[in-house]
Amino acid sequence: MHRRSLAPVALGAALALAATACSCATSGQARSGAAGGKTLTVWYMDGDLSSQAQNAIDTAFEKATGAKVRVQIQEWDDINTKISTALAQDNPPDVLEIGNTDVPLFAATGALSDITAHRAQLAGGQSWLPGLVGPATVDGKLYAAPLFAGNRAVIYNKKIWGAAGVSAAPASFAELTADLDKIKKANASPGFSAFYFPGQYWYGALQFVWAAGGQLAVQNGGSWSGALESAAAQQGLAAWKSFQNTYSTAASRDADTKSPDQAALFADGKAAAILDTSVNTVLKDAASHGDNALKDQIGTFPLPGAAPGTTQPVFLGGSDLAIAAKSPNQDLALAYLKAATSVSVQTGAIVGTDGWTPVSTQLIDQTSGSLSATSQAFAAAAKRSVATPATPGWATIESDKSINAFFADIATGRKSVAQAAKDFDAHLDQALNAAQ
Amino acid sequence: MPRSERGVSGEGAAGVLDPASPAQDRGPAGQGPAGPEGKRAGRRAARRRRGGRGRDRALPYVLLAPAALILALVLGYPLVRLVLISMQDYGLRALFTGTTRWNGAANYRAVLADGQFGAVLLRTLVFCAALAAGTLVIGLLVAQLMGRLGRRMRTAVTLCLICAWAMPNVAATLVWQWLFQPTYGVVNWLITSTRLAGDYAQHDWLAGPHSAFFVLWLLVVWQSVPFVALTLHAGLSQIPRSYYEAAALAGAGPWTGFRLVTVPLLRPILLLVTILSVIWDFNVFNQIWILTQGGPNGATSTLGIWSFARAFSSQSFGQGAAIAVVSVALLLVLTASYVRRLVRTGEQL
Amino acid sequence: MKRHKVALNAAAALFCVLWAFPVYWMVNTAFKPYGRILSPTPAFLPIPLSLGNFADAIHKPLFGTYLRNSLIVTASVVLLSLAVAFFAATALTRFRFLGRRGFLIGVLTVQMVPQPALLIPLFLTLRSAHLLNTLIGLTLTYVAFVLPFTIWTLRGFLHGVPVEIEEAAMVDGAGRMTVIRLILLPLVAPGVIATSVFAFITAWNDYVYAYVMMKDQDKYTLPVWLVSFSTSTGTDYGGLIAASSLFALPVIVFFMIIQGRLVEGMTSGAVKE
Repeated sequence: MHRRSLAPVALGAALALAATACSCATSGQARSGAAGGKTLTVWYMDGDLSSQAQNAIDTAFEKATGAKVRVQIQEWDDINTKISTALAQDNPPDVLEIGNTDVPLFAATGALSDITAHRAQLAGGQSWLPGLVGPATVDGKLYAAPLFAGNRAVIYNKKIWGAAGVSAAPASFAELTADLDKIKKANASPGFSAFYFPGQYWYGALQFVWAAGGQLAVQNGGSWSGALESAAAQQGLAAWKSFQNTYSTAASRDADTKSPDQAALFADGKAAAILDTSVNTVLKDAASHGDNALKDQIGTFPLPGAAPGTTQPVFLGGSDLAIAAKSPNQDLALAYLKAATSVSVQTGAIVGTDGWTPVSTQLIDQTSGSLSATSQAFAAAAKRSVATPATPGWATIESDKSINAFFADIATGRKSVAQAAKDFDAHLDQALNAAQ
Repeated sequence: MPRSERGVSGEGAAGVLDPASPAQDRGPAGQGPAGPEGKRAGRRAARRRRGGRGRDRALPYVLLAPAALILALVLGYPLVRLVLISMQDYGLRALFTGTTRWNGAANYRAVLADGQFGAVLLRTLVFCAALAAGTLVIGLLVAQLMGRLGRRMRTAVTLCLICAWAMPNVAATLVWQWLFQPTYGVVNWLITSTRLAGDYAQHDWLAGPHSAFFVLWLLVVWQSVPFVALTLHAGLSQIPRSYYEAAALAGAGPWTGFRLVTVPLLRPILLLVTILSVIWDFNVFNQIWILTQGGPNGATSTLGIWSFARAFSSQSFGQGAAIAVVSVALLLVLTASYVRRLVRTGEQL
Repeated sequence: MKRHKVALNAAAALFCVLWAFPVYWMVNTAFKPYGRILSPTPAFLPIPLSLGNFADAIHKPLFGTYLRNSLIVTASVVLLSLAVAFFAATALTRFRFLGRRGFLIGVLTVQMVPQPALLIPLFLTLRSAHLLNTLIGLTLTYVAFVLPFTIWTLRGFLHGVPVEIEEAAMVDGAGRMTVIRLILLPLVAPGVIATSVFAFITAWNDYVYAYVMMKDQDKYTLPVWLVSFSTSTGTDYGGLIAASSLFALPVIVFFMIIQGRLVEGMTSGAVKE
């Protein structure tokens, strides 16, 4: 592992030397690269990586190349428009952190650099999580390197569970439903959910579809077609509908996680369990705002699959790092990507400092021991992930809320499972194949 | 450009509120409302003024130049570009690479033939009408109220109006989300407390199209009434009390007084405020986008939302542009009578 | 008569309560401690009082920079748009010239274009003019958005100033520009101030143009600060609502200062013989 990671660094340095053709005899210290005068502009998203993690990557990069890093933090609101216009200028940022499901939008339209040739070096022999690298691979070419992953697991209130007679986290789906039944019986008040699962929460609902073997869409030749009408997908959808309707309040069938706020409901004891990410407000608030009572009551486990010991495949959120096609600093940018995907940065900064899930299954195994008790579940769940369709049209599906409506229609019963799947498949066919 | 001299001048018309007759063409040195002779003399004087020294002739253009320049470069040129984009197959690839492909009226055909178009159009028109009507009626009532209050109460009302007007869209929409959300919303709690409608705690206002539109209507009206109310109040305070007293002496009741005194004198301002309301309410965007994103299921999707969604959700800038152009054309049709009056008389509107 | 007054005052009081309730709710929530922001039984008074949310709001990185940029851009937009609109409105009301009506119709038409639709065309235009990522480019954008309404409203005020006064001055030998500067401007000053409100709000509140047209973080304006409370880890509701309260404050203060002039400005120049 170590010998291999030196090679790309040396290569990068050599390239930088050749590129700038500057004699560095004047500088007192021996620098590994002649890129001492250059600055790389990197765009990060607000709230994803802490400044310490960013600094760790920057330091690794600066040590390797001698160039400086200029970090700009961007906000999520209207970010795709912002990235689109930024990449359309002649002096775009060199490296951008892009949400993993948004990468195809820019990759397929010519805004990002093709880094397929460097994939082996960047991966360093690891198996990148499909949820991160899948959307970054368009037509077989790689356009971005994974940065970190965030995924969902079940967060439950140990006190309420204990009061209902459940002491251990379930290991299979059947156990889970049995436990939830007990909790439901012990807490019959209206407005209480044994498992609060908003009907619009497609990130979670997709897990049921994938667990049953279904797919969102499949690619045949060059075109995509919606696959929710398949028997497997239908089974998964039906299973989700029954789960949602049984354990979550009637009012939640059409709701999303914000209104009412899912974390607030959990903190108020109105939900005995929720499905959420590792950095959601419940866990954060318990730590930072001194909600001590809740802190010790929180437990986590990955949503179990049908067979004991398995987990449902999860939707991977997270980000990839991409290089702007119009950037004049291609080699430096590549070096930055290498720094970010390196084992030391992943284990030290991504997992160690920030508690995100690292980018490969090997890294997950490597770091699971160092994680806190509540964080282990997320890492375990991340090992089984499914990628969203690697086509620009996927961004449309996420932003026009059609997928939210699809699941809400099923949960509320507005449409039958078969009808909803038929309609949504038609929409997927149209949107995923829309020309750019 | 045909210049109609039909008794309306741009010079020295009296007051924001013009009494029933169009402005008098004042003769030199203030002769007041003049007969035909005075009018001719006035026109001669005006022509003398117009045809005056060369520097004076260029002056209006000099004065207008900065505005014309800024508007042409920053609004006019992008508007032309918008129309051009609406006739191109313009997506992200075109944005990044700069190469575009013309497709003539294909975007327009796609938009007009789209199954959603009729529903979106109807929704936009109905919502715009509901918003404009609500804003104007409430605004007029508030303006009337303000006219009859003492100074302190009037200042209080003005302060409340200003707070509503000043609140940023984002904040106002967030507060509306909170007020109307299930479980934690104040509105639901208030309704449940009155015990008139049972347990409303879980009611999701944004789940159904009608209740979602109702919430949006409340939000937009809440923020639009202040401008209308303050403007109409200013207009109303210009009407001399003596007119009303005269009407009362002649035996007119309050409604007749309103009809015969207020409405005619308020007409120019009322018209201005109505046109502005129609334009702004037709193009309402921020509140709808933040609150519902055009949902549930596209039920609150107006032309503006649809255009934005096509452009920035589907990355189909050409179609988004086509929808925007269609909506501007529609708005022109809606305000056509006002524009026609403007062209004909040229002033006072 | 007294009963009538009482009824009017009661109606006014009810109106005030209804209309100010959302603003009151915003400020009320901002002063609540973080964990109490959302509760099934609403608390109408922020007891216990907490300034934590405001501290969170102000300590956001680059808050000072965003504030400075917002102030610069807003002040520039207000001043520039008023000056330009005043001259334009003067030209439109005090002169007759070729193209006047066309200009008026053009001004009315551009008001009808929905702002979000101009995002990409404006981006392309500013890119060609090398005005992207500059506060000047942003200022010009806002001025252009605000000009149509401002010109239209100032026209109305200018109509209210009788031309006799100018004519008297010109008879005394004053040139046209002097008349405009020394006579017309002071008379419509209240109206000018009143119209500045619209320019203020437009420049102060806009997010999407400020975000998309600027590239560097140190050129962002305050609305970017407002959305920074919603990140991938969730929304800091306390910070957001405190920030919104602070954000709305300058506008309200500005309003209150000019509101005396607002009505005066709109009624100035009424000539009734």
